Amino acid sequence: MVQEDTGLGLDDRDLMDGTPPTNPFSVHILRVVAALVIPIATLLGMWVAMNWVQNLENRFVTVIVAIVVGVGGVWLLYWAMDSAVDQLPLRFRESVRPYVFVGPALVLLILYLVYPAFYTFVLSFQDAKGSGFVGLENYAFVFTDERMLRSIRNSIGWIIVVPLVSVVVGLGFALLADRLKRMESAAKALIFLPMAISFVGASIVWKFIYSFRPEGFGEQIGLLNGIMVALGQDPVGWLQQQPWNNLLLMVIMIWMQTGFGMVILSAAIKGVPEDIMEAARIDGATEPQVFWRVIIPSIASTIVVVLTTMTINVLKIFDIVWLSNPETNGTEVIAERMMRWFFRNEHDGRGAAIAVFLFVAILPVMILNIRRFRREEAIR
Amino acid sequence: MMHRKRGLFALLLALAMVIAACGGDETADTTGEGGTDSGGLAAGDGSVDVFGAFSGIEAEAVNQVITDQINGADGVEYTAEYEGSDSFEEQIKIRVEGGNAPDIAIYPQPGSVVEQAADGNAIALEDLGYDIAELEGIFGDYLLSLGEYEGKHYGIPTNVNLKSTVWYNVKAFDAAGYTPPATWDELIALSDQIVADGGTPWCIGLGSDAATGWPATDWMEDIMLATAGTDAYDRWVTHELPFASDEVKRAAEVFGEILFTDGYVLGGGNQTPSIDFRDAPDPMFSDPPGCYLHRQATFITNFFDPAGLVAGEDFNFFPFPAIDQNGVLIAGELAAVFNADTDVKDFLDRFISADVQCAQGSIEGISRISPNINVGSDCYRDALIGQAADVITAGLGAGEARFDASDLMPSAVGSGAFWTGMVDYAQNGPDALDGILADIDAAWPTS
Amino acid sequence: MTTAVQPTRRARGSQGNVGAEQSLWLIRLVIFVVVILWMIPTVGLLISSFRTPEAINTSGWWTVFANLFDGAQWTFQNYQDVLSSEGFGNAFLNTLAVAVPSTVIPITIAAFAAYAFSWMDFPGRQWLFIAVIALLVVPLQMALIPILKIYSSVGLVGEFLAVWLAHTGFGLPLATYLLRNYIGTLPSSLIESAKIDGADHFTIFWRLVIPLSVPALASFAIFQFLWVFNDFLVSLVFLGGTRDVRVLTLALNDLNGSRGEAWHLLTSAAFVTMALPVAVFFSLQRYFVRGLTAGSVKG
Repeated sequence: MVQEDTGLGLDDRDLMDGTPPTNPFSVHILRVVAALVIPIATLLGMWVAMNWVQNLENRFVTVIVAIVVGVGGVWLLYWAMDSAVDQLPLRFRESVRPYVFVGPALVLLILYLVYPAFYTFVLSFQDAKGSGFVGLENYAFVFTDERMLRSIRNSIGWIIVVPLVSVVVGLGFALLADRLKRMESAAKALIFLPMAISFVGASIVWKFIYSFRPEGFGEQIGLLNGIMVALGQDPVGWLQQQPWNNLLLMVIMIWMQTGFGMVILSAAIKGVPEDIMEAARIDGATEPQVFWRVIIPSIASTIVVVLTTMTINVLKIFDIVWLSNPETNGTEVIAERMMRWFFRNEHDGRGAAIAVFLFVAILPVMILNIRRFRREEAIR
Repeated sequence: MMHRKRGLFALLLALAMVIAACGGDETADTTGEGGTDSGGLAAGDGSVDVFGAFSGIEAEAVNQVITDQINGADGVEYTAEYEGSDSFEEQIKIRVEGGNAPDIAIYPQPGSVVEQAADGNAIALEDLGYDIAELEGIFGDYLLSLGEYEGKHYGIPTNVNLKSTVWYNVKAFDAAGYTPPATWDELIALSDQIVADGGTPWCIGLGSDAATGWPATDWMEDIMLATAGTDAYDRWVTHELPFASDEVKRAAEVFGEILFTDGYVLGGGNQTPSIDFRDAPDPMFSDPPGCYLHRQATFITNFFDPAGLVAGEDFNFFPFPAIDQNGVLIAGELAAVFNADTDVKDFLDRFISADVQCAQGSIEGISRISPNINVGSDCYRDALIGQAADVITAGLGAGEARFDASDLMPSAVGSGAFWTGMVDYAQNGPDALDGILADIDAAWPTS
Repeated sequence: MTTAVQPTRRARGSQGNVGAEQSLWLIRLVIFVVVILWMIPTVGLLISSFRTPEAINTSGWWTVFANLFDGAQWTFQNYQDVLSSEGFGNAFLNTLAVAVPSTVIPITIAAFAAYAFSWMDFPGRQWLFIAVIALLVVPLQMALIPILKIYSSVGLVGEFLAVWLAHTGFGLPLATYLLRNYIGTLPSSLIESAKIDGADHFTIFWRLVIPLSVPALASFAIFQFLWVFNDFLVSLVFLGGTRDVRVLTLALNDLNGSRGEAWHLLTSAAFVTMALPVAVFFSLQRYFVRGLTAGSVKG
């Protein structure tokens, strides 16, 4: 039963199925079966199509079909599930429907994140090989190992500096760019650009800034030392200067992340209705007042979202500090320790314990978020 | 409430069914192999995938050899392909533990092969039908013993390179009238001579991004072999001989003689961690030379600047001289097998054969040396690599060749505490040595 | 919303257009300075990508400004090498086949979920949402092994579907979080009146919420596309690294030698891979238009 929806009008499906069922039970069974079969058939169809197409000789056709199947499939899935729900007995319908909307997300999250998180949690109580339980030994390691403790201190520095600077710069830039008549997207694109550079590219970019060659090893190829030399100073091994090297590494993250904050905040600023701002201006509000009293309150929730996302991203960063040897330069961070112990030092238990610690460390930020959502719900 | 739960349940059931259904019709596909049949080998599946740590031109060269010499050969009914990744350590762990191991993995660290054997993932060469005595005839006992676990062998050597090489600028040596030293005393005398003549003897660079420090561990290993000998070296690798022992301390002190003697090291020993190992040899070729000597493995010639330097004419090497003992430091790769079938076995047979290895040696731009002793030095693209191959073969034959210790030690030490300890040493000088050696010992895993 | 606007304490002078003109110039200046600061590293990369390997290694990239028109120091060879590298076209196609569905699928799924979390009533709604955002923290690297275990047991490894679903799973928490934040603040009067008109949830979602959420959808699309496009870890694990299936970033990364010798190729490769995400950014820019939600002020 496919019908064209004509805007937001009355849905005739409800009317048709709203009539009292005449032969309840068998029809109900049939409908439940239909509710199950439709999504399954959709998924299986995607799978079969993909299997078939991936074995084709012509790569171009494969790719086109893959995109069509992937993009179309997911829409088809929801449409099919929603229609399936319509086959359900009326009294079940509206209680099942929310699960149709969140169901796919939940299933994927359980499979891709909850299960691995649980797996990691179990691993964190086990030894290096994951072959025997060692109790809290790995957690003791997390809180006693000297490098671990330093990584925690460094990470605290990172989550204070990076999100704050990125959001302030990103917000300021989004606001100012919003006032430009022309060139707005060009200016924003240039701030956004670093996000598009792959990590390998970014690490080279910053080598051309921070690189250091002592006397006798050729000309400086890092910009900072180029400036030092031009000023008649001795070149400096920037990434070896503890503890300032941490700040220099944070600069890289700020450079890469500000574009994220700017784009999201920019979208939020565009969402502040022009008429409210105009009304405020007509009422005689100055531009700073419009900013603090109108724009900021309107986008406050987005600012929190961006700060939260950046804090989490910063906590998960590890490859930036690989620009130098973190262990010799005192630039360890938590996620870098996790990668180190899990993948390099072959101690699954410690790596997992650090991952769990990372998870727990972020909970306060999450709780703040949840409170805010509750408040918003309440006033809506 | 009741119907709500039922709705959710129905949905979960549906998904479970989907997953089950998908599992049913797919397991027979190529990705799901892994039957380790120790009796006769399983029939081949038509492909052999080889995974390793080297990428770039080296990977291209190996693939070229595989395509020309193996995939295209008569009677070969499978397609083999090598893929390399910078993040090999992460990748191989994920793939093996995730149940999607490659057919063959080429490890730069023999210790990892033994770990895979201990975990029951790798397949013993004996179970593949190899005659170990025959393999020992091809590679020598030592290389094969690196992949040994509980009496069985798990690693086939696929590549070696020579680390005991000291490079020098031929023209600068001729101009100054210096000759390559044959003994340690001559080397020190030469260094003093260079200082007396107003030059700087050594270029040393320990920098290597996240791996900063490793070039210093090579120095330590070379000196350990030259001072304490192969037996002490073997005990050092297993931590029977701790870092705080007299032997290791002596080696560090000998290294310190080079590192900390005034005027020996360009820029000074404490600057060496800031100098990228790729940039370190460059001053050797400036005019006048910034330094005259550079100790580094054979691959370093790929980084010599300016471009166009000719092996043998512009630069040459002499073996790292003996002090009290003889030794040759090498590094390389061991291949471990994860999925045994007839194709994999046939591929390995062909890949390690002298013909294929010889063909590989002639490819430009790479410095892979075959561990197969039947591959003559004339197989290599230039005379220097051939010479290095001869040094390795002689070392293996005399039982004096030893594998890079940091690659054999547990990674918490071998690519952790050992690296950082050496950087500490370079930066803080001889006074800090005792504390540093104790710290490295403390990092050794207890179990 | 009236609370937001306070009566002015200071009367704004009537400088009028002169002041506006001045402040516009100030804005332009600030933007100019920030852009320059942000551009410096990228410019260094761009210049280096046109230099010979030897030049990159022996002199600073800024030295080119001293003799800008000396032809000898410039080369297109790096780009030629990158664009003609074996399997480049194939890798590009693979990247599209991975990136497009891996962007659209999570956005779709997250939008449905965000709608349900905002506007539908079901038990456990708050807690489920909390759980979803808490999952933002799970490090992707720790998730790869367990997922690969599932994949290898059902034979999904090497299929596009495997990568799509993995990217979807990893991208969902952020997508749901961002979209819930946006969709949840749509005026409730709008949704309510649509309900009163008899529209069902599917219709409200499809006809009302999606069109109103375009800026949020577009901004998330940009980032998801970016991450998926620049990723090679997930693709390498679930799709593989062999020539016929590998993605662009993987192919270009492979140009680099094991010891990191090929800076000149990596600089040009970085620009080649940047082209598509930047194009996506520009094409989605037009959805960031004021006015989409104007007029629909929440009451």
